[in-house]
Amino acid sequence: MSFNTVNISVEAPIENQIQEITYEGVEIYQPPLTLSESLAKYAQKIDFSKTSEADIKKEEALEEAKSDSDSKDAFQSSLWPWDSVRNKLRNAHQEVCVLADVLNVAKDKRYMVLDPVQQEPLETKPMVQIYARKKALGGAANVLLAGAEKLKTSQNEAARNRTTPDFHIELLRLRQNWRLKKVSNTIIGDLSYRTAGSKYLQTGTFEVTKAEEDDKPGTPPSSPLPTSGGAQPTKPSSALKVAIPSELQGVAYIEVLCQKDQEDLCSANINLLGSGAPSSNPDMHWQQKLEAAQNVLFCKELFNQLAKEAVQLQAPIPHMVVGNQIMATVLPGIQLIIALRHSTSADKKSDKQPSPSKSEHDHVLEHSLHQLLREVHHKNTHHPFPHPATGPLGPSKKRMMAGPMAADRHELLEMTKQETLLEQIVKQAQHFIMRMRTEYVLDTIAKEFKDPLISSHWNTLNSPTQSCVKINISTHGYDAVCRTPLVIHVGEKSLKCICRDGKVMNMSYEPQELRDLIFCHINQHQILAVQALAKTMGWQSLGNSNHLGSGPVEPLGNAASCLLASPTGDRIIAIRCEPQASGMQVSVAHSPRTDFFPSRLVTERKWEHLGGQFRDVRLDKMEGRNFLHKMELLMASLTSNS
Amino acid sequence: MANRALPQSKEALLKSYRTRLKDDVKSMLENFEEIIKLAKGEHDTQLSRLTQCEQDTYEMHVRSANIVRAGESLMKLVSDIKQYLILNDFPSVNEAITQNSKLFRTKQSECDQKLMSLRDDMAADLYDLEEEYYSSINK
Repeated sequence: MSFNTVNISVEAPIENQIQEITYEGVEIYQPPLTLSESLAKYAQKIDFSKTSEADIKKEEALEEAKSDSDSKDAFQSSLWPWDSVRNKLRNAHQEVCVLADVLNVAKDKRYMVLDPVQQEPLETKPMVQIYARKKALGGAANVLLAGAEKLKTSQNEAARNRTTPDFHIELLRLRQNWRLKKVSNTIIGDLSYRTAGSKYLQTGTFEVTKAEEDDKPGTPPSSPLPTSGGAQPTKPSSALKVAIPSELQGVAYIEVLCQKDQEDLCSANINLLGSGAPSSNPDMHWQQKLEAAQNVLFCKELFNQLAKEAVQLQAPIPHMVVGNQIMATVLPGIQLIIALRHSTSADKKSDKQPSPSKSEHDHVLEHSLHQLLREVHHKNTHHPFPHPATGPLGPSKKRMMAGPMAADRHELLEMTKQETLLEQIVKQAQHFIMRMRTEYVLDTIAKEFKDPLISSHWNTLNSPTQSCVKINISTHGYDAVCRTPLVIHVGEKSLKCICRDGKVMNMSYEPQELRDLIFCHINQHQILAVQALAKTMGWQSLGNSNHLGSGPVEPLGNAASCLLASPTGDRIIAIRCEPQASGMQVSVAHSPRTDFFPSRLVTERKWEHLGGQFRDVRLDKMEGRNFLHKMELLMASLTSNS
Repeated sequence: MANRALPQSKEALLKSYRTRLKDDVKSMLENFEEIIKLAKGEHDTQLSRLTQCEQDTYEMHVRSANIVRAGESLMKLVSDIKQYLILNDFPSVNEAITQNSKLFRTKQSECDQKLMSLRDDMAADLYDLEEEYYSSINK
């Protein structure tokens, strides 16, 4: 090491290191280090613990020489091995900066003054210390007392205000009636019919909050925010507050109208809460408020369903859906209008009035619409039990049997068909109108005709689409002699009449047909009654015909007639009965006249037995309450005469 | 409660209630102990006595406030547990539902009965009326 004068150059060997010698003796050399690799190698050799300046300088010189010779990209790529160097330099720099700052602050004396530490502590008397401690304890005690007092007053407050129940008790009541769950910090309730089988998409969630005690009594009752409509501004009667989404607020109902050419036949208002719509003022009890909201939801679902069906159904006369109104044609000239009326609290009063308070407020249509949707809900949740217990849930019993019974395609298709709500309500409306028409026809006929009495008995038990009326045609005072019973089944679009003799007549929805039928039966009744009366009087019925071929042509049906002979056979009464209002024609013939004057044509008295001329009886001039009475009197007089 | 398999979140919630209770009670006790320790006042510090007094006073206030806070937190815990019980007490809810349904069923049968009796009354009245009508002069 003492050969200072002699410079020994140290070079890397020209040959590269041998990495591997293969079996053939070929030597595989290691590839030479690239410039950057060799730089990194050197950089790792730097030892920072060396502090002597000479060393550092030497090394720095070395580094500089190396880095100068390096190309730019080589430096970039060798950032990794330089990292330790850089970090150490930066730490050092930071420390120096902090030191400089501290020195600056201390020197400026603007922010911090360095004082010498006082060596001997200030003399304080122990009593002072005790007083101070006492004071401190007193302060702490005050804080504790204040806290306890606060708790106590709040408890007392709750105890005193027993009239306003506790929040938790209210919540318990709410929970008993509604579905609630806690989502993070809020209590969310659900008023939809989802659990009852509804598949309506709209959610009916509401939020339950605690009513604030310190609600200002002076707040205006109409709060601008729709969601805070449930706020109870003046003296909250309940410790609970429910917030209902704005679209479920207010009052809704479904109006059902049967309209005949712009004239209402009947109207029904569906409102689950009854016709007395609840006032939707903000301080309503939560139960009522929730019920109202649920009602709104129900009405919306019902209307939605009906509207969907109205669009999908292919009726001969297409149903119309306009806005909040569905129009379906029930019978020619008669429309069924179903409308959704939803009034929020603001325009409730104005909306309430226009609904016409018609005489016909049919609660049956109202109820059945309601019932139909409930039924759908029920079906959604109550499936028939699968027959093998492991079978699929859903298909009906009939469908289960389809396989074993070898049902064909048509039968299966029939099974899948189910009536939609709209079809059902249309049918019910049709039946309703049919029933009303039948009632009207029967009543008017009963009013028009006093002679044979027409009494109708409606069955008390009937289905929404079928009812039955029994009609008795009888004559006052002669009920035992003859009565004509009729049974009319009122269906959806047709009437079925079962007559006295077991004949079945099918009629369409036109009321005139029923009217004609009843007229015919009145006539038949009269003829039959006269014959029955004659039998009791000892008269003989010579003949009768319900469909007389002679005489003028009747506008409807045929005239009926009968011929009666007195017990001695010398008198004959002929009765002709026309279905038109003109009614009865009665004629009398005396076969051997009491007085006989031989003429040129009729020379002998015996020819008089052949029957004589008929003379009309003017019934309206006769005594008697009704036709049969008159006939009885007539027969009696004719019998006694002989 | 333990014998029933609760969902994870419910379990965690219950555990959190338990820890809250313990924490609050512990905080009350600890703060109280600390106050007592401060009142003894036997600890040597580098601070001057006066500063030490101020600090002690301040610390006592804070600790007593902590006790109050723990108390209120316990009240809140009670309320939370009540709420939890109300919202998740399904047996009682089921009971309420059965009771309600029973109530409505009795109401329904009552209504039915009333309707039936009304029908019977009406039928009887109608019978009388018909009798009267058909035997009257003006039919």
